[in-house]
Amino acid sequence: MEHTNRELIPYWNWIPAAFALAGIIVFIFATYGPPASSSGFVSVLKGFFEWVAPDYVAAKVHYKAIPGPGAWLFAFVLGMAIGGFVAGRTSKKIPVRDMPPIWKKRFGDSRAKRYAATFFGGFLILFGSRLAGGCTLGLFISGSTQLAVSGLYFGVVIFAVAMLTARLIFGEIAQEEDIQ
Amino acid sequence: MTQIWLGLFSGIAFGFVIQRIGATDAHRMARSHLMLDADISRFMVLTVALSAVGLFGLQAVGVGRTLPLPTSIVATGLAAVIFGIGWGLTGYCPGTTWAAAGEGRMDAVFALLGGLAGTTLFAQLHETLVPILYDPTNVGQITLTDLFRNHAAAVVVLAVGFGFCTWGIGKLWGSGERIFAFEGEPDSETSPGNAEKTAE
Repeated sequence: MEHTNRELIPYWNWIPAAFALAGIIVFIFATYGPPASSSGFVSVLKGFFEWVAPDYVAAKVHYKAIPGPGAWLFAFVLGMAIGGFVAGRTSKKIPVRDMPPIWKKRFGDSRAKRYAATFFGGFLILFGSRLAGGCTLGLFISGSTQLAVSGLYFGVVIFAVAMLTARLIFGEIAQEEDIQ
Repeated sequence: MTQIWLGLFSGIAFGFVIQRIGATDAHRMARSHLMLDADISRFMVLTVALSAVGLFGLQAVGVGRTLPLPTSIVATGLAAVIFGIGWGLTGYCPGTTWAAAGEGRMDAVFALLGGLAGTTLFAQLHETLVPILYDPTNVGQITLTDLFRNHAAAVVVLAVGFGFCTWGIGKLWGSGERIFAFEGEPDSETSPGNAEKTAE
């Protein structure tokens, strides 16, 4: 059933978007290898610590496995930031907000609280990613594309836990009709 | 140097697409986790199904490089739980923080900084944690091909399985119609999205 006000949705339709992203992922497999984004964080830190504490980097196993900022991994995450910037500047319809309305509804409009929460959440997602060896992209998407059991296992658990967490935090708020 | 340009190009294209689907919007991600909007979830799952078929094509002509990560029953599972809490709380995952920070979302900048802190701590503890959590239950780089003994059959199982999930998400999650309203449309009973919802 086609909706008459379909054009009011500011986002791309998910089916063509999935074809576009799958095309990009296959391109990455062909020109580089399995795409990853949490490794980009390691590259940034490797570059930083090589500058301030070269002996520390040389001694740590985690920094040995991943190249510094002068390689594909960092170029990719930097590209993502540029892609996000360009996409944000060229879309007048998709709202750019510092705080999601659903968060504001639940916790009030304290920016400090939101930023502290995302800092803590960012800490958790990267700590988890580095323990597993990858993130949503580097383990779930890349891994599942390669039929890896690790990717499928990680994917099922992250979706289940994120859905449960979101329900515990925002569940009651979401019952209210005016949350968009 | 070519690799840097390829990485940059791939990243720009990737970041652009995930912004356009709304994956960089923590609000939309939260709605997706709350099963109010199916689009991001089914977009991700369909992307995997299509990529797996595409990668099979690449491998058939001998192009590209693959490296499936090993599965550690304890570490991969525990890591996924930690990750899931962070993802559910913030609505960001490692890749989307970069694109969302580039887009200009300040909360994503803080998620990125938190991510750097988390990475630093894990890198510091790697030598201690990996032998305890990862290695004992590491079952190796197992893939569906090992289970089904046939690469083509495994790709078909994965693509059909994920295709089925894509359909299932569309059925189980809300259809995402109510997303119009934040554009300033009155969320009235007469809007087609709501009318359809009531009819269900």
